[in-house]
Amino acid sequence: MNGIVSGFLLVSALGLPLLLAFPPLHRRLPWPVHIALLPAIALVFIPVDLCIELPWFLLGTGLGLDAGSRWWLAISVMMWGVIAIFLLPPNGRNVHHPLTSLFLLSLTGQMGAVLATDMVSFFALSTLMGYACIGLLLADADETIRRAGRIYLVLLILADIILFEAMVMAEAISEDLGFATLARVISLSNSLDLYLSIVLVGFAFKVGLWPLHIWLPLAYATARPATALMLWVGPVATGLLGVLRCLPLGEVSAPMPGGALLFLGAVTILYVIFFCFKRAQRRQQPAYFATIVTGSFVMGLGAGLSDPALWSGYGDLAPIFVFTMGLVLAIMIVSFEWSMAKGEISGANKVDRTLLESWFEAFVHWGRRAGIDTLPDFRALWLARRDGLRQKRIWQRAFDAGEYFLQRWSFALTLFLLLVIVTVVLLFLDAAAVL
Amino acid sequence: MNWNTALPLMVLGSSLLPGLMIFFLSEEHVVARTSLNLASAILKIVLIGGMFWGMLHGHHYESRLALLPGLDLVLRAGPLSMLFVLLSAGLWLVTTVYAIGYLEESPYRSRFFGFFSLCVTATVGIALAGNLMTFLVFYELLTLCTYPLIVHRGTEVARKAGRTYLIYTIFGGALLLLSSVWLYTLAGTLEFTDRGFLSGLDTSLHPTLILIFALLIAGLGVKAALFPLHGWLPLAMVAPAPVSALLHAVAVVKAGAFGIVRVVYDVYGIEFATDLGLTLPLAILASATIIYGSLRALFQDELKRRLAFSTVSQVSYIVLGIAVAGPVATIGGLIHLVHQGVQKITLFFCAGNLAETLGIHKISEMNGVAWRMPWTMAAFTIGAFGMIGAPPLAGFFSKWYLARGALDAEQDWVILILAGSSILNAAYFLPILYIAWFKKPPDSWPAERSFGRNETSWALLIPTVVTAMMTLALGLLASAPFSLLEWASQIVNRGFAQ
Amino acid sequence: MNFPTGAGTDHCKRMKLLPMELILGEVPWIVVLIILPLTGGMACFLFPTISKSLGLLTSLAVISCVWGLGWQLEEDGAQRYAIGGWGAPLGIDLYADGLSLVMVAVAALVGLGISVYSSSYFRRDKANHFWPLWLFLCGALNALFLSSDIFNLYVTLELLGLTAVALVALADGSEALTSAMRYLLINLMGSLFYLLGVAFLYHSFGSLDIAILAQRVEPSPAVWAAVGLISAGLLLKTALFPMHFWLPAAHASAPAPVSALLSALVVKASFYILLRMWLEIFPIVGISFAQLLGLLGSAAVLWGGIQALRQTRLKLLVAYSTVSQLGYLFLAFPLGMSIAWKGALYMLLSHAVAKAAMFMAAGNILAAGGHDRIADLSSITQRLPLTLTAFSLAGISIMGLPPSGGFIAKWLLLEASIQSGQWWWGAILLLGGLLAAAYVFRVVSHVFTQAEATHEAREVPARMEWTALVLALVVIFLGVFASWPLAMMEIGSPFGGGS
Repeated sequence: MNGIVSGFLLVSALGLPLLLAFPPLHRRLPWPVHIALLPAIALVFIPVDLCIELPWFLLGTGLGLDAGSRWWLAISVMMWGVIAIFLLPPNGRNVHHPLTSLFLLSLTGQMGAVLATDMVSFFALSTLMGYACIGLLLADADETIRRAGRIYLVLLILADIILFEAMVMAEAISEDLGFATLARVISLSNSLDLYLSIVLVGFAFKVGLWPLHIWLPLAYATARPATALMLWVGPVATGLLGVLRCLPLGEVSAPMPGGALLFLGAVTILYVIFFCFKRAQRRQQPAYFATIVTGSFVMGLGAGLSDPALWSGYGDLAPIFVFTMGLVLAIMIVSFEWSMAKGEISGANKVDRTLLESWFEAFVHWGRRAGIDTLPDFRALWLARRDGLRQKRIWQRAFDAGEYFLQRWSFALTLFLLLVIVTVVLLFLDAAAVL
Repeated sequence: MNWNTALPLMVLGSSLLPGLMIFFLSEEHVVARTSLNLASAILKIVLIGGMFWGMLHGHHYESRLALLPGLDLVLRAGPLSMLFVLLSAGLWLVTTVYAIGYLEESPYRSRFFGFFSLCVTATVGIALAGNLMTFLVFYELLTLCTYPLIVHRGTEVARKAGRTYLIYTIFGGALLLLSSVWLYTLAGTLEFTDRGFLSGLDTSLHPTLILIFALLIAGLGVKAALFPLHGWLPLAMVAPAPVSALLHAVAVVKAGAFGIVRVVYDVYGIEFATDLGLTLPLAILASATIIYGSLRALFQDELKRRLAFSTVSQVSYIVLGIAVAGPVATIGGLIHLVHQGVQKITLFFCAGNLAETLGIHKISEMNGVAWRMPWTMAAFTIGAFGMIGAPPLAGFFSKWYLARGALDAEQDWVILILAGSSILNAAYFLPILYIAWFKKPPDSWPAERSFGRNETSWALLIPTVVTAMMTLALGLLASAPFSLLEWASQIVNRGFAQ
Repeated sequence: MNFPTGAGTDHCKRMKLLPMELILGEVPWIVVLIILPLTGGMACFLFPTISKSLGLLTSLAVISCVWGLGWQLEEDGAQRYAIGGWGAPLGIDLYADGLSLVMVAVAALVGLGISVYSSSYFRRDKANHFWPLWLFLCGALNALFLSSDIFNLYVTLELLGLTAVALVALADGSEALTSAMRYLLINLMGSLFYLLGVAFLYHSFGSLDIAILAQRVEPSPAVWAAVGLISAGLLLKTALFPMHFWLPAAHASAPAPVSALLSALVVKASFYILLRMWLEIFPIVGISFAQLLGLLGSAAVLWGGIQALRQTRLKLLVAYSTVSQLGYLFLAFPLGMSIAWKGALYMLLSHAVAKAAMFMAAGNILAAGGHDRIADLSSITQRLPLTLTAFSLAGISIMGLPPSGGFIAKWLLLEASIQSGQWWWGAILLLGGLLAAAYVFRVVSHVFTQAEATHEAREVPARMEWTALVLALVVIFLGVFASWPLAMMEIGSPFGGGS
C-alpha cells in the first residue's frame, strides 16, 4: 500500500507538470504551476525514503527520494513556486500565459533530475530542463537575454556531449549507471582520472564557472531578478547536483581535480566581487549573490575531492547548505521584486557579438559561398562535359562518319571479305599451333 | 504449399497485387483507390504480425523458387528481416495516409500509388531476401519503381533529378551484379548465413574477397548515400514529400544500409570481415560521410535539401555501427536503422505540411511558423531533437550504443566523430527551431491554403503526429519487453561467436 | 506455354500411358511443325478472304504442336526423324533436341504475338500479301531449326531470306524499297558464302548430315576454308558489328510487325546455324577465331549502344539496340562453356520476345502519333499507357535488370566470364547494360513529362497494345521462372555435359 502511494506520488511529481505542459490542459487553470507542484510538496513532507524501479523505462531506471535529495526537492519546490508568482502572473482576463508550457517543462526537468537515481534519466531530464530554460530565455523581449540564451545553448550542447562521453565511459566501467553503486565502482577503476576530468569539464560548461561564464553576466545584466533566480535553480543548481552525484566523493582522494575545483571556485567568487558588484545595479545583486554561492559550493566540492575524510565529515551538509542559500536568495528576490513593482525595464541594446557567434556565422557564410559539394559539382561538371561532348563536332562526326562508311557498299564488302580472310588466316594459325 | 511457405509470398503479394490493380483504376475512382491502398497496407501489417508471432513460436517461414541451377529465389523470415520489414510496412501505412492527403486533386494519382505500392513490394523483398541473388533482384526492382516517383512532377528539374538518380543507381546495380556473380563463382552459394559463408575459402582468395567487398560496398553505397556517391539524394528532394519520405526513411536509403548490414553479417561474417581488415576502412568511410553530410546540411537554406544532407549523414551511423565491429555498436547501428527512419519521416512530413499548407520551402521563410502550425512544428521539434540525439528520444539511444560499442571495441576515435556530428546536427537543426518558434511571423505566408479551424488537413497532420509519438516512444520504452533494443540484441548475438 | 516436367523412370510411365498421351507420343510433331505453317500459307494464298483467321489459327496450332514436341522430347530425349524412312547418308534427317526446341518455341510464341498484332495492323490489301508470306516464313524458320542437314539448312535459309525481303517491301515508300533491295542482296551474298562452305565440306567428307560430319570431320585446309566461308556468310546475315549496316535501315523501314519479326526471329536463324555448327562440327576450330568473334561482339555491343543513344527516331533506336544485343550472343564463343552457351541462348530467347514487344510498341506510337521522333514523344506517350508499359518492361530485359530474361542471361554470361577468368567480356556486358539503360530511359522519361496534346492522335486498336504488353510480360516471367527454359535447353545436352 505504502509502495503504491509512494510510487504514485513520485511519478505524479513529474507526470503532473508534464501533463499540464500541454497548452489545452493548463489554459483554463488558475495558477497551473502551483497545481503542478502539489505532488512534489507532498513528497517533501513525507518523512520516509521512497524508491521505485522502472526497468522498462529508458535504459532501466528508477526514481527515488532520500534525505539529501529531500533538501534539494524542498528548495526546488520553493524556488519554482516563487518564480512562477513573478514570471507568470495570471492577469485576470486571460489566465493563459504563453510561456507556461516551457516553464512547466523546465520545472519537470529540474525536479526529475533531483529524483533520478541513475545517470541516464538524470541526463535526460536535465537536458529537458536545459532546453526549456533556453526556450524561456529566447522568448524574452530583451535582445541581450536572447543572446545569452543562444550562447548558453552552445555551451549546453557542448556540455551535453562531454557528459555523454562521461556516461558512456561510466557504463563501460561499471555496467550500471545507478548513482548508488557508481561512485564506488568508478573509484576502483584505472581510468578514474580521465573520467573525473571529463565530468568536471562537462559540468563546468553547464554551471557557468569562471572561464565559461559568458552567458551568465549577459543574462543577469538585464534580467529581472526572478529570471536570474530561475537560471540559478535551473541550470546552475542542477549542474551542481550532477557533480555531486557523478563524482566519487568521499571514496577517493584526487588532489589534482580537487585543487582545480578549489581554484575555479575561488576565481569565480573573486571575479564576481571585483568585476560585477561594482557595476551592478541593486536589483542585480541577487544574481551575483547566486554566483558567489555557486563558487563557494564548488570550492567545497574541491576540498571534498582532495580529502575524502573531509567529505565524509561534512558531505551531508551540502544539501542543507544549498537549501539555506536558496532560501536566502528567494527572500532577497521577493523583496526586490516587490520593491520594483513600478517595473521599469531597461535594456542595453548594444549588440556586440562574441567570438563564438561571429565564428559560426562566418563559417556558415563561407561554407554557403564556397559550395564545397565536391562530387555533385564534379558530377555537374562531368555532365556538362558530356553534354559538351555530345555537342562537340569531332565526336559527332566520328560516329556519323563511322556509320556512314559502314553503310557504303564498297566499304562493307571490303570489310566482309577482310573478315573472311582474317577468319581463314586465324584458323590456319590456330591449326598450325596445334599441329 | 502450406502456411510456412506461403506466408512470405503473401506478404509480398499484399502490396504487389493491389499495386498492379491500382494502375488500372481511372483517376476518378478515388474511393476505390484509397480503400485499396489502405486495405493492402493494413493487410500487410497483419500478415507481418502473424509472421512475427509465428517466428517467436518457432515456425520457420521460407519460400523458394528455383531460378538458376544452384540458385533459388528465396524469401525467408529471420530476425534481421523482420526488423526491416516491420519498419517499412509500418511506415508505409503512415506514408500512404499522408500521400492520400498530400496528393488530393493532383493528376496521375493512379500511376503514383501503383508505383508506390511496387516500391514497398520491392523493399519487403529486399528485407526478406534469403540470398544475395534475391536481394539483387529486388534491389534493382526498387531502382526501377522509384524512378517514376522521383520524376512524378514531370518538370525539367524533376527529370534531371531522375536522370541523376538513374545514373548513380544503375551504375551501383551493375557493380552489385558483378560482385554477386563473382562471389557465386568463388563460393558456389549466395545463401545468407549467420556469420557468413566465405570464411572457409582458401587464403589465396583473400585479396579477391577484399576487392569484391569494395565493389559490394560501392554498389550498395550508392543507395545508402555514402560519401562520394550521395549526389543523387539532395537532388531527389524535388519529388513530392511522400516520395521523399519513401526515399529517406522507408525504402531506398534504407535498402542500401540494410544491404551493407547483410553483406557484413551474413555474407562475410563480422569476424571474417574484421580478419580481412575490411571494417576499419568502412568505418572511416562512414565517419567521413557523417561529418561531410552534416557540414553540407549546415549551408542549405532549402528545408528539404537540408534534411536530405542530414540523411546522408545519419544513414552512415548505421554503417558505422556495423563497421565498428563490436556487438554493442552493431546494436546501435541496427536500432538506428529504425530510429533514423521514424525521425526522418517525421521531419519530411513536416516539411511537406509546410509546403502544402503555407507554401514554405525555405528555412528563411519559416519565421514564427510554429504559431501558425503548432502541431506540425512540435512534431518537427521532436524529430529534430531526436536527430541531435537529445535524451530521451530515439536518436539518443542510437548514439549511446554506438559510443558504448566503440569503447568496447577500443576504437575511441569514433566517439569524437559522434561528438562532432552531434554538434553539427545541433548547429543545423536548432536554428530552424529558433526561427520557427521565436521569430515574429510575417503578415502573410507565400501560398496559404485554409483548412478551417485546423492548421492543415487531417490526413497530413495525423501521420506526422503519429511518427513523432513513435520517436518519443522508441526512446522512452527502450528497455520494455519486446522492444526494438532487445530484438536488435538478439540479432547481434547470432552474428557473434561469443 | 506449359512444359510438363515428369518424374519417375521411363519404365513406370510407359505402363500408365493414357490414350491422350499415346497420341501425343505417336504423332511426328517435327514434321507437323514444318508442314502445318506451309500448308497454312498455301491456304491463305488460295483463300485471301479468310486469311486473317487462317493465319491466327495456324499460329495457335503451331504453338500446340511445339507443346507436343516438347512433351515428346521430355519423354524420350532428343529425336531424329528420317523423312520418308530414308536414313541419314542418303535421305534427309530432321533432328530435335533442347536447342531446337527452344528456338522453335520462341518462334511459335513470338509468331503468335505477331499474328495477333498483324490481324489489326494491316489493311485488307496489305493483309492479303502479308499472311501467306508470314506463314511461309514461319514454316521456313521451323524447318531451319529442325534440320540436321547442312544443305537443307541452306534451302530453308534462302526461303527465309526471300520471304523476309518480300515482307520488308510491304511498307509504302521508296525508302522501304531501297532497304528491301539492299536486304535482298545481303541475303543472297550471305547464302552464297554459306553454300560455298557447304560445297567444301561435302567435297571433303561426302556427307551433308551434321551428325555424320561431326564424326568424320578432321583438320584440313578445306575444312578451314569451309568454316571461314560459312561463318562469314552467317555473320553477315546475323549483322555482327561491321556487317550490321543493312540492319537498321531494313528493320526501321519495315511495317511494325515485320520489324518485330526480323529483329526477333530472322536474324536469330543464322545465329542458330552458326551455333549448331560450332557445337557439332567446329570443335576443332582453335581459340583465336572465337576470340575474334568475341571481339566483334563487344564492338557491336558498344557501337550499337552508342548509335542507339544518338538516334532521333524511335524505330532506328530500337533497331540499333538489336545490333547491340546481337553482340552479346557472340560473347559466348570465347567463353565456350556450357553456362555461357545457355546464357547466350537465354539472351536470344529474351531478346526475341523483348524486341518483338518493343517494335510493336514503337509501331503503336507511330500509328497513334504519325511520327516517331523521340524528342516529340511526350504528347503521344501519355495517351498510350499500355504501350509505354510494354516498352518499359521490354526495356528492363534489354537493360538486363531483374526480374527479366535479360537479367538471367547476363547473370549466366557473367558467371561464365568470371569462371573462365576472362573478366573483360563481363566488363563489356556491364557496359552494354549501362548504355542500354541510357537509351531506354531516353524514351521512357518522356512518359513523365507534362505536355500538352499538340494534335489529334489516332486510335490504336486495343489488341495491338495488349499484344505488346503480353509479350513484354512474358519476358518478365522469363526472369522469374527461369528453370523451365533452362531445363528445356538441357534435353539431349546440346552443349555437352556438366557446367
